[in-house]
Amino acid sequence: MDRRRFLSRTAGLTAGALLGPGLFSHRLVRGALAAQGDRYLVSLVLDGGNDGLNTIVPMDDGAGSLRSDYEVARLAGSGGLRLPVAGTNALLPLSVAGLSGRDPNTGAELGMHPGLGGFVPGAVEASGDPGHGGLHALWTAGKVAVVQGCGFPDYNLSHDEARRVFHTANPRGLASLATTGWLGRTLARPGAGFGATDVPALNLRDSVAGEFRQHATSVAAARRLSDFTMPRDVSAYSSDHAAKLAAIQALYAAQSSRPGPWRELGDAGTATFRCMDVFPAASRLYLSDRSAWSAGYDKMALGTGRDLREVAKAIYARESGDEQVQAFAFRVDNGGYDTHSDQGGADPAGQHWALHAELGASLKHFFDDLADMGGGVDRRVAVVVWSEFSRRVRQNETGTDHGSQGPMFVIGGGVNGGVYGNHPNVAASDLGSDGNTRYRQGSHDFRSTDVRDVYGTLLVQWLGVPASAVLDPAAGILRLDDGPADARWTVADFDLRRASDGAPLFAA
Amino acid sequence: MGGEATLLDRRAARHLLRRTGFGASERVVDRWLRLGTTRGQAADELVSFTPSGFKPGGRSLSELHNNWVKYLVKARSGLNEKLVLFWHDHFATSFGKVGDELLVGRQNQMLRKACRGSMVDLVKAVNRDPAMMIFLDTVKNSKVEPNENYGREMLELFTIGTTDLDGRRNYSDQKDPAAIARAFSGWGIDRASGAAVFRDSRHDTQAAYPGRGPKVLFAADDASPQGYGGFGPSGASFADLGEGAQEIDRVTEIVFAHRDGDGVSTVARRTAKRLFEFFAYGAYRDASGVDRGGFASPEAGSEERTAIDQVVSASGFATGWNVGALVREILVHDAFYASLADPARKSVKWPVDFVVATLKVLGVKLMGRESRVPGLGDRSVYTHLSNMGQVVLNPPSVFGWEWEGAWVGSQSLLARFGFARDVYTARSTGGMRPEKLVAASLVQPGDVVDAVTDLLGVRDDLSAAERSVLVGYLGTGPVNLLDPVTVDKKLRGLFGLVLQSPAYQLH
Repeated sequence: MDRRRFLSRTAGLTAGALLGPGLFSHRLVRGALAAQGDRYLVSLVLDGGNDGLNTIVPMDDGAGSLRSDYEVARLAGSGGLRLPVAGTNALLPLSVAGLSGRDPNTGAELGMHPGLGGFVPGAVEASGDPGHGGLHALWTAGKVAVVQGCGFPDYNLSHDEARRVFHTANPRGLASLATTGWLGRTLARPGAGFGATDVPALNLRDSVAGEFRQHATSVAAARRLSDFTMPRDVSAYSSDHAAKLAAIQALYAAQSSRPGPWRELGDAGTATFRCMDVFPAASRLYLSDRSAWSAGYDKMALGTGRDLREVAKAIYARESGDEQVQAFAFRVDNGGYDTHSDQGGADPAGQHWALHAELGASLKHFFDDLADMGGGVDRRVAVVVWSEFSRRVRQNETGTDHGSQGPMFVIGGGVNGGVYGNHPNVAASDLGSDGNTRYRQGSHDFRSTDVRDVYGTLLVQWLGVPASAVLDPAAGILRLDDGPADARWTVADFDLRRASDGAPLFAA
Repeated sequence: MGGEATLLDRRAARHLLRRTGFGASERVVDRWLRLGTTRGQAADELVSFTPSGFKPGGRSLSELHNNWVKYLVKARSGLNEKLVLFWHDHFATSFGKVGDELLVGRQNQMLRKACRGSMVDLVKAVNRDPAMMIFLDTVKNSKVEPNENYGREMLELFTIGTTDLDGRRNYSDQKDPAAIARAFSGWGIDRASGAAVFRDSRHDTQAAYPGRGPKVLFAADDASPQGYGGFGPSGASFADLGEGAQEIDRVTEIVFAHRDGDGVSTVARRTAKRLFEFFAYGAYRDASGVDRGGFASPEAGSEERTAIDQVVSASGFATGWNVGALVREILVHDAFYASLADPARKSVKWPVDFVVATLKVLGVKLMGRESRVPGLGDRSVYTHLSNMGQVVLNPPSVFGWEWEGAWVGSQSLLARFGFARDVYTARSTGGMRPEKLVAASLVQPGDVVDAVTDLLGVRDDLSAAERSVLVGYLGTGPVNLLDPVTVDKKLRGLFGLVLQSPAYQLH
């Protein structure tokens, strides 16, 4: 769709927006867009602590003992969580044509939890169903970076504290970084060009997520784009609607110089009114132009899929030339990973399978949808999948307790798919006294991947934020640990590289 | 500066009633002012409620939820229910995992009866509360495979917290949750009665598991060679009165004996901090744009630190553990009244407070099986509160709800706008009767605005600019409140604007 066609569809919306008090600062915003190159970033959380050891799983010992150690910790039989290498519902191998699925450190062959293949009983079963093949199909197409062993020094077993580290990228507890998120600081940095009531990011949830928290600009939170409407009185009083809307907008605008929560409320309200001008129209445009793709999300009937459809709507509107859609960063939640009990192993009826199937099928359909939009937009969207921690190496009766480092995924058409970082050492003899894998740095064989390294690579190599801004010692987005560079950081210059051949995370 | 002998004026009286209940009753305010009531007398009156025996019932989460919300509107003591909400958030238990209406209802009743009594007894009751035992996996915790879920949250959320106010760790992250799991092993629920039972055969003993070491809490680990909480390097034994069912109460008593480095009780300090945050304010940004920890993370030497220690000491909470006494000291303290002079320290109303206070002050009823506001929307109060991010009895996680700024994201604001619309358009039976709320004799737009904003408790908080926006909405000439269309359109519209205004979201 060209820009003219878009404008004719949304003429009413554009006129309304021009009458509003706070016009979009087009020049600044377009400047910001140019800087990040029309790229999109989706932060997708597996909330509750995803069992990483049953997500990316050793299939053999390689030159070490990963599979044997795995089988000591994860049991077969009733309540057992062991994922089999062969047979029904076996692990999905990462080594496929053109891709190495070996752990770089031990050489062990790795497999993916079979649920990530996207099999959802009753919904995503046959090839041809939306989402079929799941994350494994995206992997096979070379669009998935598996980043192993992600964590931070002195891992924390509390959900809240571990989440806070992932949100703030602040494992050292520095006061200057304590109340803002790593993406929030990115949006709020002086060069980003977003004002207090611009809306550069959208969270598909009730409230703004921790990684987006900051004070300089607005992040919108809503479950659906169509939620952004002002409810009306009876139609007989429709003329009064405009008067009320103008008054309520003025009340929120009047807070800009007041202290504390007043101004926070004022900015949230003004940004919300701006969203009313923009997002419902974006939703209608998508539903009218892409009804078949929309129906696919409905057929899957998965919460994460429906949230990703809202992301697709915003992206489609922007790609269609709606300059009022500023949002390029998104947050989607997939919750329920705190599987202390009844986790389920290689069983499509189990909890962990259902969560992984939802994730896999939803992402597959989302990227199919993006690819079909054309314009190479699927190559300009990156999804980073994370969880606050992994789970205890040794299972309990039917589940797993809180753990330490786990895998992250970076997914997108612009990603060089493959294995990045080392699998943690799950040998019982090498675990910490609480039974969790240890965070390692320096020249250790089982060196971990620091979460700040993944974030830094996304910022510098994907969003084009200058490394100097990321590391600015005064007000930087990320802060390194003190000490020798080799001991505090996984890779140099925020440039995570694929283990097998040194390729960068993102294709040029 | 003031104290318990300070006389309440109208603003202070309204503030006290709003924060300890749902909206301010002018009847009570008038009585207090007529009698010349002090902060201390008013706080004594509020705290001395007789705990209600209400138990929310129903066949689904939404029925339970709506039944509690309807009870909140009519409850005799607002403070009783505010304390139930506080403890419900503190010992957050979600129906989503428990899945049992009866057990969730019983837990709520237990909190209602115990909310003002001894906190030690309250924690002991929560330890063996069946809904909690399901929610945090005590029922799955056995000697063979200990499950740490409850032990971890008991320390981190229910009692001492991960660190003291200066950021020093309060317990061994590696050892102590696992030790508590041992003490709680064997506890479960009797299927027939739904009551807690202890099964000795599932209980961990030191003889059976010598490799797990002695049953102690707060002993030294790599991070703290001197141990934690002032018990010394070898910690405190919770098997000192023998092994078995009594261990969980011993654990509780030891946790309550945990001391900060300066000898002050850790549980007392943290509970006072949280109650202040609930009744007064949390973190805020002051007038010069500096972020202050407030009661959310009180900085060393701050007025909030002083206030916390003052109320702990004045209430004797660290020895008697009487919650009512602690709340009473908070309600007479200057910090509780600070937002009257400093608007930066206003707090965002919880969604359930926003909804219940609105229904109560405007006399609007929830109608029908679905508990709807009889206005233009077709949403039940359950859907409204779900959209605002607060379904009571189903908090998002064991952390309860995120307070303050998290309540005012765009999703939450949109949901508040939607509820306000249903209220101001509630023209059917049980709805809003604006002609009963505002004197028809008023003719000046400014006087009408003052009456409505006064009724809704925001008149003193509005800037001149905001007031003139509201006056401008009514027009320049006189208003005829005897004209039914004016009342039905503009007066209702004015109520809608105030309910949706920034000032009304704060208290």
